[in-house]
Amino acid sequence: MSKDILVIGGGIAGMQSSLDLADMGIKVHLVEKLPSIGGKMAQLDKTFPTNDCAI
Amino acid sequence: MPDKKEDIRIGVFLCHCGSNIAGYLDMEELEEFSRKLPHVTFVLRNLYTCSEGGINEIKKAIEEQNLNRVVVASCTPRTHEPLFRSSCGEAGLNPYLFEMVNIRDQCSWVHMKEQEAGTTKAKDLIRMGVAKAALLEPQEPIMSEVQRRALVLGGGIAGMTASLALANRGYEVVLIEKEESLGGMLNNLNKLSPTMTDAGALADEKIKAVTGHVNITVFTKAKVTEVRGFIGKYNVDIETESGVTTIDIGVIVVSTGGRAFVPEGLYGYDGKRVVTQLEMEKLLKDGLDTDIKNVVMIQCVGSRNEERPYCSRICCQTAVKNAMLIREQNPDSKVSILYRDMQMYGVENEEMFRDSKAKGVRYINYDPANPPQVEFDKVRVYHPLFGRDMDLPVDLVVLSTPVVSQEGAEEISQLLRVPIDENGFFLEGHVKLKPLDFATDGIFLCGSARFPANIRETVAQGLGAASRASIPLAKGSIVVEPIISVLADEDACRGCGLCVALCPYGALEVRTTEKGRKVHVIDVACKGCGVCAATCYQHALSINSFTDNQIEAQLEAFLD
Amino acid sequence: MLDVGRHPNLELLAYSEVEKVEGEAGNFKVTVRRKTRYVEEDRCTGCGACAEKCPTAVPDAFNEGLGARSAIYSYFAQGIPSTHTIDPDHCRQLNGKKCGICAKTCQAEAINFEQEDRIIELNVGAIIIAAGYDIFDPSLIPEYRYREIANVVTAIEFERLLSASGPTEGHMDRPSDRAVLAEIAALEKKAKKSQKALDKLEKKFDEPSAAFYGKYQAGEYEGDEDRKKWADKYASHLKIVEPLEELKKKAKRFTVAKRLAFIQCVGSRDFRFYPFCSGYCCMHSIKEAVIAQEHAPETTSTIFGMDIRAIGKGFEEYKIRGGNNSNITYVRGRIAEITEGPNNNPVVTYENTRERKVESREFDMVVLATACAPTKGIGTLAKTVGVELDKYNFIKTSSLSPVDTTTPGIFVCGCAESPMDVPESVAQASSAAQRAAEIAFQSELEKEKAVA
Repeated sequence: MSKDILVIGGGIAGMQSSLDLADMGIKVHLVEKLPSIGGKMAQLDKTFPTNDCAI
Repeated sequence: MPDKKEDIRIGVFLCHCGSNIAGYLDMEELEEFSRKLPHVTFVLRNLYTCSEGGINEIKKAIEEQNLNRVVVASCTPRTHEPLFRSSCGEAGLNPYLFEMVNIRDQCSWVHMKEQEAGTTKAKDLIRMGVAKAALLEPQEPIMSEVQRRALVLGGGIAGMTASLALANRGYEVVLIEKEESLGGMLNNLNKLSPTMTDAGALADEKIKAVTGHVNITVFTKAKVTEVRGFIGKYNVDIETESGVTTIDIGVIVVSTGGRAFVPEGLYGYDGKRVVTQLEMEKLLKDGLDTDIKNVVMIQCVGSRNEERPYCSRICCQTAVKNAMLIREQNPDSKVSILYRDMQMYGVENEEMFRDSKAKGVRYINYDPANPPQVEFDKVRVYHPLFGRDMDLPVDLVVLSTPVVSQEGAEEISQLLRVPIDENGFFLEGHVKLKPLDFATDGIFLCGSARFPANIRETVAQGLGAASRASIPLAKGSIVVEPIISVLADEDACRGCGLCVALCPYGALEVRTTEKGRKVHVIDVACKGCGVCAATCYQHALSINSFTDNQIEAQLEAFLD
Repeated sequence: MLDVGRHPNLELLAYSEVEKVEGEAGNFKVTVRRKTRYVEEDRCTGCGACAEKCPTAVPDAFNEGLGARSAIYSYFAQGIPSTHTIDPDHCRQLNGKKCGICAKTCQAEAINFEQEDRIIELNVGAIIIAAGYDIFDPSLIPEYRYREIANVVTAIEFERLLSASGPTEGHMDRPSDRAVLAEIAALEKKAKKSQKALDKLEKKFDEPSAAFYGKYQAGEYEGDEDRKKWADKYASHLKIVEPLEELKKKAKRFTVAKRLAFIQCVGSRDFRFYPFCSGYCCMHSIKEAVIAQEHAPETTSTIFGMDIRAIGKGFEEYKIRGGNNSNITYVRGRIAEITEGPNNNPVVTYENTRERKVESREFDMVVLATACAPTKGIGTLAKTVGVELDKYNFIKTSSLSPVDTTTPGIFVCGCAESPMDVPESVAQASSAAQRAAEIAFQSELEKEKAVA
């Protein structure tokens, strides 16, 4: 039995799942196929409706 | 730590933010300027100070240049201060010996067209930041224990899902329902789209699981009358018919749901021949009268107007679902849906929408400037594709009314000191990135209390809110930023209590001490907003890292 | 994003792929391939000196190919990790040519052309699939002429044009104009070179080329080989300079795009491609139109859609505000065709269903709100991990268990499950975390029991 969790994909969904679990004290392995995490949201200039930068 | 002023060594980091800052301000000039400021011993420009490379530069400089204060001039502290602080900490510098200057939002962005003036303003802000940095004091984070028990407000599908999720993780849950039985809106619904699951059966199944769970205590016909304390240490009064119970709670989930708007005075609403979709659910549940052959549904009744500007998200799905169920029960009936935009977003809804057309449901677009007219036995509507008015015969008119905020939402918002938005729904911490958290730590939300949601979304949010709420429960303790109010001058405090009345977070109380009545700061509840310090006549209260002498130093630097 | 890179409980395996999954809920054995970056992770500081010196230019995927990056690169400026990566398809050294400039430049000695893929094994209790989505390729729709007409772009390309860190630094320069400017730059480089050669000759013969060339053409220097060379040089110089001047004249008239059209449901709600609604594109277009108008206040936008689905919290209000304050007009109708008019302006032909008319309108730029397509690798990933897909190739779930896949212990969130916007993705991500945590804590509770 293992308590660790594998998350596949480092976009906004994968990052949020990973952070929730890691904050609970669970060891998370996050696998991302691209050189950096961030996913599509990192490509967005600003996000509606606060127009905050997406990163 | 240096105790004399001449020992202070400040490092200033100037962020280009790609071209967000450097495209509009003269960075070289800012660098030269910063070098000449008092106590500044090191200045560096970075393309992105927040990048891993930029952070490493800060750490390296703290070590190699022996810095004991760090100033970063970049974007907003709202997003990036925690990162810079903790980076200082990792390099061995107390994180509170860090000061941030916002030269993006306050200079390059707002003064895009006045670059010289923008640069001058950036100089002012940097000079002020450096002046304050010189007076910063180290602070230590505040720790507090967490009671491993959750309070869930509202026993509909959202609250039951959240309760079961937390209970399955091993945490105690106290579930409060104002009605006699659990189930919420499910009790009034017929079938749930798109799978046409029986709502009553689902409610029964969930209620059984909740009431049978060893970790869940249910209070029905109950309400919360008083909430004291703060994250990890709430103390809550629950009033039921048998009296008041007081329970210690660690976290709170708000899942109070919403209710259907009643369209009094609209389109001849009478609850008989002109009904709401919610009433339609009951008609379908009980079995539709076989005489009903002609049905017209009207969308956006009481929503997307001046009074209620929002789109209630789920009414189109409900209409399509009920239209199909009407056709199923009375196969020779005609059902037309008069709509503004069919909000059948996503995969499942759009599929159901297509399906309904194949099954003979008719759709007519109407213009809100020229809405349908409901008469006794017909509905008149302008058909844009035919370019003329059409009369649709009706036996039954169904009005799709929005989900509106729950009765008593305002009361709960005051009890918990969490905000509601202009439409009466609870307002989350960040609409994009923190949909299930409140700005106040320790309180979470899900389901239609936040915004109208269908069954899939409500279940997902119930699970999600449980995840968020379980984080402090799993940790068992919390660590709070020490930038809070402190009673800096105890002798000056007269215990007048003005600050207590004004504190939005319930973080102050007056206690009787040996020296008389004195204010006390509940440090984990304090958010450091500064209302108390600003209102204290006696200047007895002060905010860590925003002390009077630090702010005066900034003002002096500005006037230099 | 930064929190992910810094969390002590979080192991970040970027540039990696899951190769094999065995076992069951509570006890999965996972094989992960860490692809070689040809850069040592523990040495690279992400300073970027290598990328500056690298002689190879490659279209930049992060900027949707609108800009260029080098063959050694960081995926984007604030990327986590900032470790650089060598693109093996374009690196000169890795393709048998002499180079290695990056290795010479790197002071951290992080470049390692011999580095190989590494295989690591993980033991986990649960798996969350958050593999995301792809953007629909609109060149599959012939009548929209994407890629044929330069000023027809996708929503994500337009996002990069709006971005201060994007290829135009946030100016809404039209792709057709950017192509001309690139041509001007190339010609100027050539002209400078040929002018240099002419300068030498002018000095030698002590006469301006133009004056000489007039005489030469009149037949004055017949038989003079040296002067013939000069004349040939000047003629070819003119062939560069004349079109260059023309282009420069043209470029003087360039302005940023001010009349924008946004076309909804490009690949979505379309039986030829994806019958579903992608859910977020209406708001994406409205947001882009609002930001574009903030960048240049005279900008006007027309959004063409069947239904404008502003279904989230504050969305309808934002849509109305866009109409009132940001010069946005919403037109109900489906686009029949996009053609190219004068000045590279796209012309949109559509049925205005409100007015019951077929209309054509010219715009400076057209933005296609492309569908949220299932990500390409999802079939392989689903097979590897062992979960079922639905008929569109999204990961199969049910509405009462919205993040549970068909296999216990494996969960899904975000657009790998179905199209959804950011707050829904974030909420669902927490849901998946909850379901996974139930398994993690189960194993802990059982361990405690075993010890007791």
